Amino acid sequence: MAREVVSTGNELAAKAAIEAGARFFGGYPITPSSEVMHEASDLLPEVGGVAIQMEDEIGGISAALGASMSGVKSFTATSGPGISLKAEQIGLGFIAEIPLVIVNVMRGGPSTGLPTRVSQADIGQAQYPTHGDYASITLCAGSLTECYTQTVRAFNLAEKYMTPVFILLDETIGHMHGKAMLPDLAEVEASIVNRATFTGSPADYKPYKAEMNKPAVLNPMFKGYRFHVTGLHHGDEGFPTEDAFQCEYNIERLVGKINTVAAQNDGLDNEPDYEEFMLDDAEVCLIAYGSIGLGAYEAVQKLRAQGIKAGMFRPILLWPSPAKKIAEIGARFKDKIFVTELNMGQYAKEIERIIKRDDFTTLFKANGRPIAPAEMVAKVKEMM
Amino acid sequence: MRHTIRFTGVGGQGVLLAGEIMAAAKIALGGYGLKTATYTSQVRGGPTVVDITLDDDEIRYPYANEGEIDFMLSVADVSYRQFKSGVKPGGTIVVDPNLVHPTDEDRKKWNVVEIPIITIAKEEVGNVITQSVIALSITNAFMSVLEPKVLQDVMLSKVPKKVHEANNKAWDLGIKYATAAMKK
Repeated sequence: MAREVVSTGNELAAKAAIEAGARFFGGYPITPSSEVMHEASDLLPEVGGVAIQMEDEIGGISAALGASMSGVKSFTATSGPGISLKAEQIGLGFIAEIPLVIVNVMRGGPSTGLPTRVSQADIGQAQYPTHGDYASITLCAGSLTECYTQTVRAFNLAEKYMTPVFILLDETIGHMHGKAMLPDLAEVEASIVNRATFTGSPADYKPYKAEMNKPAVLNPMFKGYRFHVTGLHHGDEGFPTEDAFQCEYNIERLVGKINTVAAQNDGLDNEPDYEEFMLDDAEVCLIAYGSIGLGAYEAVQKLRAQGIKAGMFRPILLWPSPAKKIAEIGARFKDKIFVTELNMGQYAKEIERIIKRDDFTTLFKANGRPIAPAEMVAKVKEMM
Repeated sequence: MRHTIRFTGVGGQGVLLAGEIMAAAKIALGGYGLKTATYTSQVRGGPTVVDITLDDDEIRYPYANEGEIDFMLSVADVSYRQFKSGVKPGGTIVVDPNLVHPTDEDRKKWNVVEIPIITIAKEEVGNVITQSVIALSITNAFMSVLEPKVLQDVMLSKVPKKVHEANNKAWDLGIKYATAAMKK
C-alpha cells in the first residue's frame, strides 16, 4: 500500500537512499542541502549504517567513494559550490567506475552565489561536472514524491551502470513541506538493483575487462578479489596504461555504456523518463522541470481556463535527455514550444540541439526567485 | 477551496515552524497543505516569509500567487514592507504594532489589525518563543479554516512536553485577542 508522509524533499531523499539500500553517507553541510545529511545521520545508525560529516566537501565524497568500493551503497549530498569542490573525485568515480549517488540541491551561483535561494543553474554542471570525456546520468525531481522515487532510481542506475549518478533537487523542492505519497516499501525493495559481482577464481578476476558499452565488474574490496584502482587510464586489471588502443576503448566504453545504451534502448531503465501533462490535445507545449514544473502545471490549467489548449512536457531524466520524445515534440508543436527554467537557458540549448531549431519561446530567470504561473501564462499568451 | 496564508518575520522568530504546523494540520484533516519559506543567508535577523497553501485538492505550485493571499501576519517591519503586496485587496493583515508600522494607505487597502503578539508572549505567557503559537491561533481564529482542536494537537506534537502548558496558554491568548480584535 502506498504510504502517506508529511515531509520535505531533502528528508525524503535521505529516506529513499536508505530504503534503496544505502548504508553510508559522507558529506559536509551546505545550504540548501544540509537536511539530507541531518536526516541521514538520524536514520543510518538505526539500520546499522554510518553517516559521517567529513572535514570538507572533498573529504565527504572521498569517504563515500571508498565506502562504495568496499561494496556498500553510498551517497553524498551538497549544493553547486560543493559539486565544484568535489569535481576531481567525481572524475575518479567516472573513470574507476564507482557507483555513487550525488544529491545536489540547487541554489543560485556561480561561486557561493545565493545560498538560500532557488536555482536550476547546475544542470549543465551535472552533465559535465569534471574534466575529460564521460557521460553523466542525471535525474531531476519534480515533486516531493519524486524526491523519494528518483533517489531510489538513482541508486539502481548507479549500481547497474557502475557510475556516479546525480539526483537534482532545488531549494524549493528540497525545503517545501507537505504531503507525499510514497510507494509501498515491499515494492521499493523488489525494485532494488545490486551491482554485478565476479564469482570465478580470484586468479581470473579482471574488473575492467568489459565489453564495449558494458560497465566494469568491481567486486567489494577485502573479499579476496584483488585489483588496482586508479584515476589514470588503466587496463583489464586496473593498472595504469598509456596504450593507445586501450585508452580509446576506455573512453568509448565510458561514454557508450550510458549514451549509446540509452539511445539504443530509449532510456536507461523501465522507469518514466518524462511526464506529459494534458499534452494529448494541446496546441502549445510548455517545457519545464524540477520545481518550475510545479508552476507550469498551474499555468497549463490557467491557460486552459482561458481557452488556450496548453500542455506540459516535464523531463525527469535530464542526462542523457529523452531525445526521441523531444524530437517528436519539436516536429509536432513547431514554434508553439515554450521553455522555462531557472537559469539562462541551459536546457533550452538541449532542446535546440535536438530539434535543430531555435524558433521557440523562452522564459528564463536567474535571480533566485521562482517563476510564477502568472508569468508563464502571460508569456504563452503572447505566443498565441 | 484554496486558502493562502503568509507569515512574515525575521529569522529566528519561529515563523517557519508555525507554517509547518498549519500545513500538517490540514493534511491531518485529509486535505493538502504546503509550506514554503523564503529567507536570506543571514542566520538571524534577515527577512523571512512563509507561504502556506491549504486546499482540499492537490496543490502543485507551493508559493502564494501575488495578490491572492487571504491573510498575512507580520512581526517585523522589514518583511512587512517587502511582502505585503502579495495580499489581496480587502484581505486581513495582523501586525504587532510595536514592530510593524503600516501606512495610512495600507489601512485603506487592507483590513489591518494590531495585536501586540510579542508583548503578549513576553508578559502574559512569560516566554517570548511562544509568539509563533500565538500567531498560529490568531491566524486560525481569523481564517476559521482548520478545526482548532486538530491544529492545537499538531502544534503540541511539534513542541517539547515541558513547554506544553506555556504553549496552551499562548494558544488561548491568541484566540482571546483575535476574537476581541474582530469585535472592534
